[in-house]
Amino acid sequence: MANWIKIAQVGQVDEDESLAIEVDGKQLALHHTEGEYFVTDNVCTHQYALLSDGYIEDGCVECPLHQAQFDLRTGKAMCAPATVDIQTYQVKTEGEDILVEL
Amino acid sequence: MSAVSSILVVGAGQAAAVAVATLRDQGFDGRITVVGDEAHAPYERPPLSKAVLAAVEADEPGISVKEEDFFSARDIDLRLGTEVVSLDPASAQATLSDGSTVTYDRCLLATGGAARRLPGLTPDASQVHYLRTLDEARRLRNALRQARSAVIIGAGFLGLEIASTARSMGVEVSVVETASRPLGRVVPEAFSSWLQARVAASGATLYLGQSITDLQLPADGVRVSLSDGNVLQADLVVVAVGLVPSTALAQSAGLQLNAANGGIEVDALCRSSDARIYAAGDCTSQHHEGHGALRLESWQNANEQARIAACAMLGVDAPPAAFPWFWTDQFDCNIQMLGLPRAGLHYVLRGGIDPADASPKFIMLGLQGSAPCHALAVNAGGDLRALRPVLERGLSIDAAGFSDTSTTMKAYAKALLASAAG
Repeated sequence: MANWIKIAQVGQVDEDESLAIEVDGKQLALHHTEGEYFVTDNVCTHQYALLSDGYIEDGCVECPLHQAQFDLRTGKAMCAPATVDIQTYQVKTEGEDILVEL
Repeated sequence: MSAVSSILVVGAGQAAAVAVATLRDQGFDGRITVVGDEAHAPYERPPLSKAVLAAVEADEPGISVKEEDFFSARDIDLRLGTEVVSLDPASAQATLSDGSTVTYDRCLLATGGAARRLPGLTPDASQVHYLRTLDEARRLRNALRQARSAVIIGAGFLGLEIASTARSMGVEVSVVETASRPLGRVVPEAFSSWLQARVAASGATLYLGQSITDLQLPADGVRVSLSDGNVLQADLVVVAVGLVPSTALAQSAGLQLNAANGGIEVDALCRSSDARIYAAGDCTSQHHEGHGALRLESWQNANEQARIAACAMLGVDAPPAAFPWFWTDQFDCNIQMLGLPRAGLHYVLRGGIDPADASPKFIMLGLQGSAPCHALAVNAGGDLRALRPVLERGLSIDAAGFSDTSTTMKAYAKALLASAAG
């Protein structure tokens, strides 16, 4: 059964910025780019670092520690040193609310 | 280039793995042979001084460059625990330590290097450690776990990383350095001072400006005498005084080596002085505009040169090398460098460089006039990444604007790029 949880408000995260969120003990990141919102795991699969402190470009988030890149849509690890994908989550907006499905 | 049907890669490290992956990705379906003297398939070296060293044996992190079945799946003949003992450029043939021979149309030397030995020190003594290979990291880890104290010779990146990890394992650490400050050749004085305080706060002791006048190996450890009269006693010693590029094969094959840095001379496409032989990674010397010939020892350089060499061997155009980038993780800080240091830079600071700050975040930007050439970021990788196009394009910056933390680095960089695009 879909479990949608409100995590932020529209306008709270600027374009090409990310926000760290903790839901149900999970560390997630809400990313905003090209007019869309994406939610991924926030911890890099290579080494402990928060992707919400990273850099968004061309539909990918780049880890601030060692420049591993992950596709925001699929979670795929796009380049070394990461080899393991991150998890991505369904997102929707309802009015001014941004919700994630867990 | 239809003439190329067989490629030999000497060495099985980071550069070798990236090169062969690139060759196959580019559609090369000829024979690829990779010969490496270590017993392990290609692995990432950066974690050796950090996560691997700190790990418990049963839970060592995976550090393979490629997944386990990569080499068989991509039809790459990976020969581990084997050395290339001679290379004959005239007949384009290599002889291996198992007596076999391999012919090639193109050869890539990705031979890396070995930890520089300290003269006069029994290298295989149980108290003496070096760190370049996975086996060396495991040996040092086992020793550190038993040790109460360690002397580390060399306060370069590797020596400091080992010191940091050893401290986190509860080992008493002394670091001895001949220069008057840590990382003196690559960072400005203010950065060295900050780092020095950081090292001291971890409980490690730095002995700067010290040469070693005597080094004894009594049965129960080491005794290191310093030029100022101090005598350090510890359970073990780690020598981290740099890397010697592995160029014996290149030299015997008559390839041109750089007299100053010892690396195999390569051009922008990683071609050596022999038309069929290329080289990539720590073993190479390459010209860098404004810096002359450099032998760069970095993960990124190994990747980039490997990619460029692989494309060049196939006659394929490759995107140019990425802007030089380097990282080190030590004393609870992620430190990154963009660009290369040079003499005469004026450094400006963004953020706080207070040594007492438990979680510091700052960037030091080295300017030549108003053009940024070299950046050092502490726990500010995202900001540094935003700044990268500014350095790549050498755009002028104003020191006051750069230092103003009321504007985010992303917004600042974006505005600079927009005004340059004009």
